Amino acid sequence: MSSIQEDDDLVFRKIASLIEPLNEKGVKLTRDTDLIADLEIDSVAVLDVVMDIEDSYDISIPVNTISEIKTIGELVDAIHAIKKEQS
Amino acid sequence: MSLFDKFQTTATQYKALREGIGRDPFGVSMDEMKGPTRAMVNGKEIVLAGTNNYLGLTYDDRAIAAAKDAIDQSGTGTTGSRFANGTYAAHRQLEIDLAAFLGFKHCMVFSTGYQANLGAISALAAPPEDVILLDADCHACIYDGAQLSGAEIIRFRHNDPESLDKRLGRLGDKVKGKLVCFEGMYSMFGDIAPVKELIDVAHKHGAYALLDEAHSFGVFGDNGRGVCEAEGVLDDVDFYTGTFSKSLASIGGFVASNHPELEYLRFSSRPYMFTASPSPANVATASAALARLKSDPSMRENLWQNAKRVHAAFTQLGFDLCAPESPVIAARLEGREQAFMAWNFLMENGVYVNLAIPPGTPNATSILRLSVSAAHTNEDLDAIINAYTALSEMLSAQAA
Ligand SMILES: Cc1ncc(COP(=O)(O)O)c(C=O)c1O
Repeated sequence: MSSIQEDDDLVFRKIASLIEPLNEKGVKLTRDTDLIADLEIDSVAVLDVVMDIEDSYDISIPVNTISEIKTIGELVDAIHAIKKEQS
Repeated sequence: MSLFDKFQTTATQYKALREGIGRDPFGVSMDEMKGPTRAMVNGKEIVLAGTNNYLGLTYDDRAIAAAKDAIDQSGTGTTGSRFANGTYAAHRQLEIDLAAFLGFKHCMVFSTGYQANLGAISALAAPPEDVILLDADCHACIYDGAQLSGAEIIRFRHNDPESLDKRLGRLGDKVKGKLVCFEGMYSMFGDIAPVKELIDVAHKHGAYALLDEAHSFGVFGDNGRGVCEAEGVLDDVDFYTGTFSKSLASIGGFVASNHPELEYLRFSSRPYMFTASPSPANVATASAALARLKSDPSMRENLWQNAKRVHAAFTQLGFDLCAPESPVIAARLEGREQAFMAWNFLMENGVYVNLAIPPGTPNATSILRLSVSAAHTNEDLDAIINAYTALSEMLSAQAA
């Protein structure tokens, strides 16, 4: 397993743990899970989850970026991109 | 068909709830107004406790007379924007009066408070080098102004200066202008921002502070200048925004500042340039209400007395209130269905309050938002407290 892949798994698991309390329908979380369509999470709640992620990784994820994100995988990718840029 | 698909989930939810109670909380029709605190709804007189009529000035004699005079003298509408079609003397005078009242050098009047925030924020920040930081619970018009600017937007935790500090600290050197936006009193929960700490943090990082006192203008501070007056930091606010639609009982909004560059917005702010200026009657009403607010502190005293009475009564009834004493008294309910049912129960008991349910509410809470007015009589307050007493009995009977 490459270190990128390992890091990817860690970020995915972190996000999944933050989203799980909002996963009322008990959907199995994968990279392809759509936050709003599959999980029916309210758009403000998505922003709140992102705020927890920001504080976990000490990065800022602009609202403009979040509005373009649909799936958990896209969120993972955005975090990698921002971590790289802001470090 | 796909154009309408996105509405379906919410539409279906609302429909089920609406049909369950036989009333639409988001479409209540006041068939006839009976004064600042009463209206006829479905043939029944209701106490209005879901307004923003904090000072109760919607039927102020002098404001009504001033509005009538303004229509006689200047007509019903301005038919255009100030940028394209010209400014009336009354627009300018109101800007001068507001600036003088607040102690700022510059003021711009907009057609609504929504447009004031939209116009200020969208014009002040621009991509790619400016960043807007906003409190997570900011009003839609602050979010929309930020979106319209096209600049990068970062949210900080509600009323949390440390969260703002961290986010400002993370910004790289490429960032030029930084604009931090927050409110004085928040409209849904009635909670107050730590404005001094937020301004200090903003200035420490070289950012400008924009404070929206929409709900706190006329309500807080020894002279009614808002939460920033109460906290002693009015002079440190870079951009002070407000509305005429609440304490001033009219329609319109404004931005005040000591930065002379505010005047540039007159030829760069689209929500100022491309919409009709406020009507003569609206301007005259706001001017008269401002004059009354300046000369008569008794309304603010009544408002606070009323707010304290209701807050104490609800606390005693055991309601889960969202904030300490303020003119907005929001009670948290268990969920959407319970809030809907409670709202309907209050309507049946002759009291109109605001229902707020997810999506879009902070922390996905369901609340009943009540706003107190200086014009509420003791009779009105009795009716409100009686209705909530019956509600709390009904809720505890259900829980048992
Ligand atoms: C915080 C805040 N800002 C601005 C506005 C907009 O005010 P107006 O009704 O004048 O458009 C409101 C009211 O809805 C508000 O709550």
